Amino acid sequence: MSTRAVTFRAAALLLLVVFVTRPQLFAFAFVPLTANNAPAIYNQGSLLALTLSHVRIVFLATLASTILAVALAIFVTRPAGREFLPLSRSLVNIGQTFPPIAVLAIAVPLVGFGEKPTFIALFLYGLLPIFENTLAGLTEVSPRTLEAARGMGMNAWQRLWQVELPLALPVILAGIRLSVIISLGTATIGSTVAAKGLGEVIIAGLQSNNVAFILQGGLVVALLAVLIHDGLGLAERAAARRLGRPLDEIA
Amino acid sequence: MIEIEHLSKHYGDNIVVDDVSFAVGDGEIAVVVGTSGAGKSTLLRMINRLVVPNTGRVLIDGQDTATLPEDELRHRIGYVIQGYGLFPHRTVAENISTVPRLLGWDRRRIAARVEELLDLFQLDPGEFAQKFPHQLSGGQQQRVGVARALAAKPALLLMDEPFGSLDPVIRGKAQDDLLAIQRRLGTTIVLVTHDMNEAFHLGDRIAVMDQARLLQYAKPADLLTHPAEAFVEQLVGTAERPFRLLSLVTVKDAMEPGSAEGEPITVSATLRDALAQLIWRGRPALPVTDASGAPVGRISVDGILKHGRASLS
Amino acid sequence: MPTLRPTLHLDRLGSVIAGLIGLALVASPFVTYRANRIVSGEGRLLFDALPPAGAVGTILVVIGVALCAALAHRPLVRLAAASLGLCVIFPAVGVSAGFVTPVGNTFARVSPAIGFWLLALAFALLAADALTRLRLGPWGRLAALSIAAGMLALLLLSGAWSDLSLMKEYANRAESFWREGRQHLWLAFGSMGAACLVGLPLGLASHRVPALRAALLQGLSIVQTIPSIALFGILIAPLGYLAANVPLAAALGIRGIGAAPAFIALFLYSLLPVVANTMAGLSQVPADVTEAARGMGLSRRQRLVQIELPLAFPVILAGIRIVLVQNLGLATIAALIGGGGFGTFVFQGIGQTAIDLVLLGALPTVALSFAAAIILDAIIDLTRRGGHDRD
Ligand SMILES: Nc1ncnc2c1ncn2[C@@H]1O[C@H](COP(=O)(O)OP(=O)(O)OP(=O)(O)O)[C@@H](O)[C@H]1O
Ligand SMILES: [Mg+2]
Repeated sequence: MSTRAVTFRAAALLLLVVFVTRPQLFAFAFVPLTANNAPAIYNQGSLLALTLSHVRIVFLATLASTILAVALAIFVTRPAGREFLPLSRSLVNIGQTFPPIAVLAIAVPLVGFGEKPTFIALFLYGLLPIFENTLAGLTEVSPRTLEAARGMGMNAWQRLWQVELPLALPVILAGIRLSVIISLGTATIGSTVAAKGLGEVIIAGLQSNNVAFILQGGLVVALLAVLIHDGLGLAERAAARRLGRPLDEIA
Repeated sequence: MIEIEHLSKHYGDNIVVDDVSFAVGDGEIAVVVGTSGAGKSTLLRMINRLVVPNTGRVLIDGQDTATLPEDELRHRIGYVIQGYGLFPHRTVAENISTVPRLLGWDRRRIAARVEELLDLFQLDPGEFAQKFPHQLSGGQQQRVGVARALAAKPALLLMDEPFGSLDPVIRGKAQDDLLAIQRRLGTTIVLVTHDMNEAFHLGDRIAVMDQARLLQYAKPADLLTHPAEAFVEQLVGTAERPFRLLSLVTVKDAMEPGSAEGEPITVSATLRDALAQLIWRGRPALPVTDASGAPVGRISVDGILKHGRASLS
Repeated sequence: MPTLRPTLHLDRLGSVIAGLIGLALVASPFVTYRANRIVSGEGRLLFDALPPAGAVGTILVVIGVALCAALAHRPLVRLAAASLGLCVIFPAVGVSAGFVTPVGNTFARVSPAIGFWLLALAFALLAADALTRLRLGPWGRLAALSIAAGMLALLLLSGAWSDLSLMKEYANRAESFWREGRQHLWLAFGSMGAACLVGLPLGLASHRVPALRAALLQGLSIVQTIPSIALFGILIAPLGYLAANVPLAAALGIRGIGAAPAFIALFLYSLLPVVANTMAGLSQVPADVTEAARGMGLSRRQRLVQIELPLAFPVILAGIRIVLVQNLGLATIAALIGGGGFGTFVFQGIGQTAIDLVLLGALPTVALSFAAAIILDAIIDLTRRGGHDRD
């Protein structure tokens, strides 16, 4: 990584941290956007707390989706689960045509307002990319490599842990990254169903017609998403390097 | 000693291996040749039970392999496939130590074994141990593949077209290296190939397969002089037969006492090489020297022809 | 060796589906009855939700489908069973609405309940699995989609569902439904069109000029990571400024809040797939093909139009498929910033905790994305086939 890239990332991170902890420092930039003496900086809660709960729900939901999605993908690629493979592929294709907001909206009447419907939407929608990528990663392991593993006397469990999963890891991580990015967005919409998160700032701005709120909410969410996306990308590349495969730098 | 007894395999109505029996003595190399789809790989894979035979059995040192747990059996048999199947996510050292680790060897023993094997295959441990397969040339990958198969000191090595993806020059060198290592370790080898030259070069015995059946299992020279069926004769190549035969015999066997002028030939050269030299130099005879370079006799065109006629009749 | 005696072999997936059907029949209400739109409702099992003869008939059909799922192996048979099941329960839920609602009561609401959805899910899974195994070609898939769409249209037009709460919500706002529908399509397709107009030349340019490539892709992929509402929010400020200070912009209908930021955001999101796939498509044209074309004396322009673009076309289309499905979904969120679209009903429904109103917005969106995905996939297959068959 070039020093310029490092400085750039560090600066962006610093900006985000300072903004959510000391937003008043930036009030001057947002005052011109307000009318009728409306507050320039979000004043109905702490940006820091909102950021933390936003990240928390995304983290928990992604963790849950990862566990289930990886387990399911392993299942349908084993002899016992083969019969489910074709259908599960089509389901992932179909599932991705569901907009996340639809999942969120349908969950509300079932479980009520708050974190629960958001969690459900994040969890369900987050399954798809991880499942899809894990499946791709596992099925792309070369048959020759597997033949060699079998020929050397690795049992099914050893093949899975020592050969298949490590080889699929970079692709799985890419799926998790995609899932996290979608979840960050869906969690923002989650504020419309009263989940605590950064969407609140934007919604509050829309409701009170305060462009300053809308903009700062948008900027914080955007910066957070870009930084997390970038950070996960770095982790992915590190994993790929450790596995001896310099992945092409596909964003 | 491995004994293959009446092995058969069919997939549905398609008979892939049909009642094949032969035995390979300790420290011997048996080469299985035949056209594509003849069932060679299937036969080989039945030996380590990657394919379970429909009938027949395989005995290793008298023990029926079906009585052993599959994985344990495979730990004891080295296996090399075309394209080598190296684990792309593991370094050369990790690849080689796969089976020793499965067997629970301790760390120091594994490290020592890896180093020993890398030395044996002329790969500098300092340079290669930590490399990943994609950083190696084809020839280096091939050597790592064989080193990996030998890691746990198997008494039996199965090789399925191990040199198939190498260019001719490197292939020749790899074959020689394999022979040298095999002579040193005394490993029994069953090797599958398409390449008749390879079969004659490596095989102590050659098994010829066609359409699921074993047509002939014999020493290379017998295959040339007494082909069991027209197919074997054709495979062996009628026109090339005499030259093949000459390449199985060394100068020592056709040497005459006396001396001659010109560039000397060593006793261990094949008659085929000697004939080539004679023709190339345009001489009726050349001197023969032993390994140390001392003259021991002469070899002549007439002598070679006489020897060739004798073994063909 | 083949045996002549047919063996009873349980299909694993089919057994799971049959289990789902059993669960739906025995333990889950088929419809929910509510005295009015707001109060919480009570469930009715299938047996109590239909007139006795209808209930018995429906239950028998459903059980038949479950048996087929578990025991039949031929995909066509399974598909027929699934279709039969769907063709029975969809009208049945409409009939049930009329049956459960007391005569003359205009406040009462009946909605499909968990049992209905489970049955629909089970049958849809069975159908999807059968269709996957049938490996239909592109025309076959298009035909299946048209049949399904036709059946759905028939169901809705026949009035069989008019007693359902969903259709009552629709009846109350039929006019705005179609208006928002048009707005939704305009947002999704308009921004996609704009992205194609801009993205294709950009993709072409960056194919030719490698220096442009990295910067462009990186910039666009950053845009892609920004969550939609955040991007809407970021665009609202400058657009509001524009509207307040540039009369022409205001005259064009550009305002800080409304469709403009949504349209622009969707346009920006669409650029990455279009540009990246145009580039990928062009760069996968084999070098020997372009070389041959050059050898035959085709000019640069002719090569592009006659050789490169046609060969890149399936890949470009794949980018457009991504864009379209993505836009149809994202357009839902435009309603949050006053941009209209089907999302209007979704957010209204969330506000009023009226699930049927949510569904009124969500179901058409899902149906549109689903249909768009199938149609474009089929077109991609067809262009591939014409160009160069891979199998
Ligand atoms: N798992 C399998 N299922 C069905 N048929 C198989 C299977 N494995 C091998 N066959 C068939 O068995 C026959 C012999 O295959 P095998 O791989 O043993 O041939 P081979 O002699 O090694 O050929 P090649 O030289 O091309 O490697 C082929 O016709 C092949 O199609
Ligand atoms: Mg083979």
